[in-house]
Amino acid sequence: MKLGPKAAITAITVSAALALTACGGGTAKPGSGVPAATALTIGALADVRSWDPAQAHVGHTLQPYQAAYDSLILREPDGKLSPMLATAWKYNAANTVLTVDLRTDVTFSDGAKFDAEAAKSNLDHFKKANGPQMAQLTSVADVKVVDADTIDLNLTTPDPSLEYYLSQAAGLMGSPKALGTEAIKTEPVGSGPYVMEKASSVKDSQSVFNARKDYWNKDLQKYQKLTFKILADITARTNALVSGQVDAALLDPKTGKQAEGAKMILAKNEVDWQGLLLMDRDGTKNPALKDVRVRQAINYAFDRKTILDQVMLGQGTPTSQPFGKESGAWDEKLENKYPYDPAKAKALLKEAGYASGLTIEVPAIPNFETQISVVKQQLADIGITMNIGAALTNTFTSDVAAQKFNTMYFSLFQGEPWVAINQMISTKALYNPFKNTTPELQAKIDAVQNGGTDANKLAQEVNKYVVEQAWFAPLFRVNQMYYHNSKVDVKPQIQMAVPSIYNYSPAK
Amino acid sequence: MIRFILKRLGSGLVVLFAVSALTFFLLYISSGSIARNILGDQATPEQLALKEAELGLDQPILARYFRWLVNAFGGDLGASWFTSEPVTSSLATRIPVTMTMVFTAMILIAIIATLIGVAAAVKRGWVDRVVQIGAIIGDSVPGFVIGVLLVTILAIQLGLFPATSTISPGSPPDAWVLSMTLPVIALLINGVTGGAQQIRSAVIKQLERDYVRTLRSRGIGEREILFKHVLRSAAPAGLTVLSLQLIGMLGGVVILEQIFALPGMGPLAVTATSQSDLPVVMGVVMYTVAVVIVVNLLVDLANGWLNPKVRTS
Repeated sequence: MKLGPKAAITAITVSAALALTACGGGTAKPGSGVPAATALTIGALADVRSWDPAQAHVGHTLQPYQAAYDSLILREPDGKLSPMLATAWKYNAANTVLTVDLRTDVTFSDGAKFDAEAAKSNLDHFKKANGPQMAQLTSVADVKVVDADTIDLNLTTPDPSLEYYLSQAAGLMGSPKALGTEAIKTEPVGSGPYVMEKASSVKDSQSVFNARKDYWNKDLQKYQKLTFKILADITARTNALVSGQVDAALLDPKTGKQAEGAKMILAKNEVDWQGLLLMDRDGTKNPALKDVRVRQAINYAFDRKTILDQVMLGQGTPTSQPFGKESGAWDEKLENKYPYDPAKAKALLKEAGYASGLTIEVPAIPNFETQISVVKQQLADIGITMNIGAALTNTFTSDVAAQKFNTMYFSLFQGEPWVAINQMISTKALYNPFKNTTPELQAKIDAVQNGGTDANKLAQEVNKYVVEQAWFAPLFRVNQMYYHNSKVDVKPQIQMAVPSIYNYSPAK
Repeated sequence: MIRFILKRLGSGLVVLFAVSALTFFLLYISSGSIARNILGDQATPEQLALKEAELGLDQPILARYFRWLVNAFGGDLGASWFTSEPVTSSLATRIPVTMTMVFTAMILIAIIATLIGVAAAVKRGWVDRVVQIGAIIGDSVPGFVIGVLLVTILAIQLGLFPATSTISPGSPPDAWVLSMTLPVIALLINGVTGGAQQIRSAVIKQLERDYVRTLRSRGIGEREILFKHVLRSAAPAGLTVLSLQLIGMLGGVVILEQIFALPGMGPLAVTATSQSDLPVVMGVVMYTVAVVIVVNLLVDLANGWLNPKVRTS
């Protein structure tokens, strides 16, 4: 038999295939290896969209920016605001001008100097760059350079969360020479503890950083090398963590069990609350919801502890209030305001004239199917029919704003009180689409806005009002399950599922 | 032959055009407020309007489509709405990863499935029964389940392979081989079992044909009959199945790439689709359609090469 071209091709492919499988089986060795003591690899949920600091976001989407950029104010793990690029800051008596003193010894990684002009360029850029957090500087009318190391932020209206924002996206300082260029979108230029190693970084795969030489604050620079490995899939994150490819990653109660089996350490933290938003409080679309007794009855319908144990494997705390425990607006007395009491719920419904029952509608929400069906069941027990509509799509924010839903089951971030008020309570809030308010509530909100340093305390009154008026039916605060191995110490950061980059240090 | 290829490429272009129009308009209907998706729930109406103008969303839909089409002909697929990264450059870094995976799996499937299928057809008896039962089991377990099992046992328990990909620019070849082995095996198993079944029945059918009896009566050896005549006649069936599997694999790799964190087309497609990132989705769809067209063309050519009778049609 003569060997024709076809046979030759077959022979080549066979030997190539054998060679491939041989390599696969023979020289096998974990590819990543064990990071040196001064290297940290973090399993991140997503890559940043753009390294322009004005495109930074909140929570886990803020963390990577902290590697490359310093912020004006440093937010400690417990939420305390400390000096960073700003050495001191002070409001005038009317809370309308914030004067910020700046460091004079800091340079950016491209050699540009940080000063008042640089800070102004950044804040001006942030205001017009149309980033996802542009609203953080809405209250700032303009920024004035007072002298080389001082700026004034002139406000149109007092904003109790402005100092907090300057520790977040709005406070990130990039090199004035790089701002607005195309290059900064793919390679950050900041004054932060680390500098990106562009050659090893691949979009949506990994971002590699090296410690910056002569960084001004060695206390915040704890590693020689820092890698964000992008692992969008939770199975991939779990596998990468337990096999030692990454040192820390955000998991969930179910995958957490697997991580605990592999001796990973949990740094847990309550960041969001879940429950019903009873949004149509004026009864525009569903008249029953106008009656506060109906809304309270809904609150009495839930056995929060059992739902939490069954659905969330106990990872969280049952609560009746929408404000977070560390926010300052939280009130011990409101925590169990609505205990599980179906009899009382039915009595309230009867009093309100709904003895024969009523109907509410919620949209279906991906990943919350179990919670929603349990809520449906418990409401049925007191005579309320909950119809589950079409699933939320990526147009849901517009749908919420367009009053398409009068009630919805949701998970909301528990931020600083003024942030939370503008997220779900004020008439400008997205999650108050029917713009419900009363003069009494508005007075309390105004008090918070003008409250200066007492703002968080004053927000307790707002909290008390919306809990008593049953604006929501919160079920529980949910634990974020951040796991790490024993080579690294991690301090959780309040109100963030993923800690600030400064909270990691080599284990002692 | 040249005319045949040109004709097929021409019809391929028409398909590309039709799919691009269809995808563009479907995305337009379902994309909702894209500016809202980009800027998040705190954005003000002014911000939204600004963003829409920036992305050209204030233009009429037809104008937008024709601008896309004209640019696409010039090789410019636009930039992601979310990351501003040019679509051509995201495709350029991701296609090699996915294609390496798919084609390695394909070549291995072709070889292994042929060996198993022919063995089952020729030997029959217990070999055949083992292959048949194996095929049912292999076919019924989804690739991603196999993937997760492989990671748990070979990567996490035994530490033989990295649990997630370590591929990055400048990675040495062994990093590619180690990172690709488990996902390729996960892709392989379904393909081999399906392919072996088809090749088995095609070979059996050929072995029962009259020409085989004639060849045998002339005293030609079994081996020569099998390799020179039967396999050649059975090949079109096998090739067709393989081409279908390759196209099916483009879907299968999406989940596997997520599980193994491979920086391929899968994660890009998933993210872009769920965000309604139209320029990226268009890029992904165009790539997929192009692969399908090229694979079908190659299969037709290979069939013609193996079997002159097909060429006339």
